[in-house]
Amino acid sequence: MDEHKIILKLRGISKTFENKKGEKHEVVREISLTVFENEFVVFLGPGHCGKSVIINMIEGLLTPTSGEIELKGEPIHGSDPRIGMVFQTTALMPWKTVMENTELGLKFAGVPKSERRAAARKYLDLVGLKGFEKAYPGQLSGGMKQRVGIARAYAYNPEILLMDEPFGALDAQTRYAMEEELIRIWQQQKRTVVFVTNNIEEAVFLSDRIVLFSECPARIKTIYQNPLPRPRDPISPEFMEFRQMVSAQTDLSL
Amino acid sequence: MVKGKKREGVKAGNTKQILNFALSACSILLLLWVWFSVSAVNSRLIPTPAVTWERFLLLLEKPVMRVSFGGHILISLRRILLALIASWIIGISFGVFIGWNKKMNALLGSVFELIRPIPPLAWIPLITICFGIGEFPKLLIVFIGAVMPVIINSRAGMQGIEQIYLDVGIAFNGTQAQVLKEIAIPAALPVIFAGIRTSTSVAWSVVLAAEMIGANAGVGFLVVRGMNGDDMALVVVAMITIGVIGALLSVLTSWMERLVCPWMNIK
Repeated sequence: MDEHKIILKLRGISKTFENKKGEKHEVVREISLTVFENEFVVFLGPGHCGKSVIINMIEGLLTPTSGEIELKGEPIHGSDPRIGMVFQTTALMPWKTVMENTELGLKFAGVPKSERRAAARKYLDLVGLKGFEKAYPGQLSGGMKQRVGIARAYAYNPEILLMDEPFGALDAQTRYAMEEELIRIWQQQKRTVVFVTNNIEEAVFLSDRIVLFSECPARIKTIYQNPLPRPRDPISPEFMEFRQMVSAQTDLSL
Repeated sequence: MVKGKKREGVKAGNTKQILNFALSACSILLLLWVWFSVSAVNSRLIPTPAVTWERFLLLLEKPVMRVSFGGHILISLRRILLALIASWIIGISFGVFIGWNKKMNALLGSVFELIRPIPPLAWIPLITICFGIGEFPKLLIVFIGAVMPVIINSRAGMQGIEQIYLDVGIAFNGTQAQVLKEIAIPAALPVIFAGIRTSTSVAWSVVLAAEMIGANAGVGFLVVRGMNGDDMALVVVAMITIGVIGALLSVLTSWMERLVCPWMNIK
């Protein structure tokens, strides 16, 4: 395990949006951050503070107003196939079956059908959706949909997986189950994960490191190395203690 | 528990279906009753159901203008089928194109907005001057009527695609053509299909009007023939035929929609 091999570097990235009247709205200010290979980093911060904007800039859906993003020492512009994304629940195509959704990225990449089917099947099995290949997303529960989202991102075989509040729309019970599932999958198929959430408990449960953001515009407030060994127990005293510590620094306006 | 709920749902659905069926049967009976009573009062102007029925049977035996009843129907259907296929191919391509490409919409959209409100029948004089009164001008008129809703819906469908679907395409590094084929067009398909449904009913009414103006075959021609020959029963037979076939066409398009968009009726 190369714990200290740098994979992703954000160099002072900022993002300012301008509306039709010409008013400027700064949402991200001067973010500099290094992410290591196979690390599970969680971006934690209040509701509308621009965490998703950062994720979208890394994915290439948005361009930073200033600053640079480096992948393995080289600056990247636009969408890079080495970076995959798990979107919020609605991002499955309702007109495609579970299988067709999962293999979409590989289809775009021109991978032959039998090969991409095999890859998609492997990850659908991994996320526990064996037997649902022919179902449509409309027939699945919220948790199952997001399992497809995770399988779809994994099947594309990226080196970095970005997850933008993937469990935000789920009920508490399903959410806990999915967090455990995600860690199980990640431990079986190690990737670098950048995970966005506004839920402190989720951040403490999942992360190797927590990057705590301030209110708008988003700036890095603190970075915590998560001291808790895995598997983690959310009701152990150590968990509570660390959670308290993070919570004291967080101004969550939810 | 889930199972019980489902079963209850099915039961409620059945009762609802029966009720709906009964209600529509009621309205048809009401229509018949109105027809009976109006024709009973004034049977010289308006043919009674019995007279109409006899005229229908006679029509089955005796051709009009050497074309059988079924032949007239087929001629009308053939006209709308040809015009519809052309309008779907051209209308969807054009609508998707201007809906996808903002510059093209700016360039061609306003011309389209100008042409769109002109009713298809207003084109008849111009088309007659240019193409005479053969088969092609009739197809052209039907095409003009049918292509408009297809273009409007295809464009609206493309403009209304949720951004997140397109983001998925970008995130997975799809080319413009791949995103269009795999994401944008399927996303717009339900709206495009609403246009196809409208185009079918428009085509059916326009072909009849076109046939009433200058034709020697087709269901619209039967209406004119009945009117000119003081054969009101024939007019009514033709009208009922028009209604029934129009309804069947609409069933056919819904069936087509279910075939093309299977994900639409999951819930």
